[in-house]
Amino acid sequence: MNFKLMPTIAASMFALGTVGHADPTIDQYVTFSGFGTLGVVHSDYSQADFIGNVVQLHGAGYSRSWTPTPDSDLGGQANFTLTDALSSVVQVLSRDDADGNFKPKVEWANLKYEFTPDFAVRIGRIVLPTYQHSDIQNVAYALPWVRVPIEINYTDKAEYSDGIDLLYRVKTGAVTQNLQVQLGSTTEDLPGTVFTSIHANVGVFSDTLQYGYTSVHLVYQNYDHTGFPPVRLRLVGAGLTYDPGAWFVTGDSNYTQDTYFGDFFAWYVSGGVRLGRFTPYTIYSTTRAPSAGTSGLRSLGNERTVSAGVRWDFAKNLDTKLQLQQVTIDTLDDPASFANLQPGVRVGDKANVLSLALDFVF
Amino acid sequence: MKTSALIALILAVFTVANVRAEEVVVIVNPAAAPISKEQIADLYLGRSNAWIPIDQTVGSAIYVEFYKKATGRDIAQVKAIWSRILFTGRGFPPKQLPDSAAVKKAVAANPKAVGYIGKSAVDASIKVALPLD
Repeated sequence: MNFKLMPTIAASMFALGTVGHADPTIDQYVTFSGFGTLGVVHSDYSQADFIGNVVQLHGAGYSRSWTPTPDSDLGGQANFTLTDALSSVVQVLSRDDADGNFKPKVEWANLKYEFTPDFAVRIGRIVLPTYQHSDIQNVAYALPWVRVPIEINYTDKAEYSDGIDLLYRVKTGAVTQNLQVQLGSTTEDLPGTVFTSIHANVGVFSDTLQYGYTSVHLVYQNYDHTGFPPVRLRLVGAGLTYDPGAWFVTGDSNYTQDTYFGDFFAWYVSGGVRLGRFTPYTIYSTTRAPSAGTSGLRSLGNERTVSAGVRWDFAKNLDTKLQLQQVTIDTLDDPASFANLQPGVRVGDKANVLSLALDFVF
Repeated sequence: MKTSALIALILAVFTVANVRAEEVVVIVNPAAAPISKEQIADLYLGRSNAWIPIDQTVGSAIYVEFYKKATGRDIAQVKAIWSRILFTGRGFPPKQLPDSAAVKKAVAANPKAVGYIGKSAVDASIKVALPLD
């Protein structure tokens, strides 16, 4: 765990931000911003580590009873405005990942050209819109919960791709569609000894429809990796959010077919009520593997989680969240929320997890 | 006696509150096309690039009032929505100007600009597109 890096990055980002804002001529071309979370997680289940992201190697429960690693992160972003139509974004993120440390990584780095305000092309590194909240999963301030329910991300083989995408916004009557086609390749570290550093071709088509307070996210993604194990993954997903302001309901789902690992079906539903500065919420989330692939592994990832929490917007650009959840383990083959499974794990075991987080944007 | 004094006090407080919460109006350039309340909400929540929205200082009384009436959302919700747009490289929140006078000046100078000001600040340099009450 390399925590020493985080203050250094924070200091350098604040320094950059200060320089940028001190000079109005630079401000026209470059803007700096950032986000982060200071979190701590406790799990009462000592037979496995509860993790906050599928690639993490360690978490709370087995390794340590309390740990800051599942949710803590820090990101810094620079936006460059080159001409009216040409711009660029670079975002660096420090978060506990498949290497087991907080070494900063480039999440976004692309050049964008706008043909019209509603039609643009981007070239470079772009985060994939695989799930309703996948492009924002590290910016917890933008989420109602401590984290995106991990089950929906279980088949997440890639967070971003290096390539090209087209963004097109079209309004038909009262419905606005945000269409995105993305093609590229990805090389990412995955946990464990076998799957480390996997290279694959990725293609995504997504459509986010907005109608008043309703938003619908539809996606198709393919992911092809030749090598061992050969992965040929097809994902279809549908998500829905209704948010009139005073309350919200949201849900997401996806079905994944994978020749090697089998099929997966994951979904969650969540709702919350905004009472002044407090937003209590609940979530039910689950993932199931209805069929096995050529690997012979069965019921990969199976689990279900009931969560309840509250977000408190206590100050400008800051929130704090408290989340309690109970995860029921339905398989011995890599239940989605856990790493470091110990021999004592039994199907039907329950883990009670407490998460506290402080989220900020600047 | 005490009850009537209390009622009088409550009424006085409400009167003061009403005076303080001045009516907010959405303004556009005199040459601009009509704009609907749905379009305003889309603009200020980052769902449309059809116009150029202009903000007042984040957290100011008029900012809070405008977002509540035009979008049904509070400061933290608006910040969360724009954080998502910003940190996915899709855009920037509206430019902030310090007061109604500055907003009027910007709107008067650009037929694509949209702003919001207190009703008492309305003059001939701009036109009221939409009252929000």
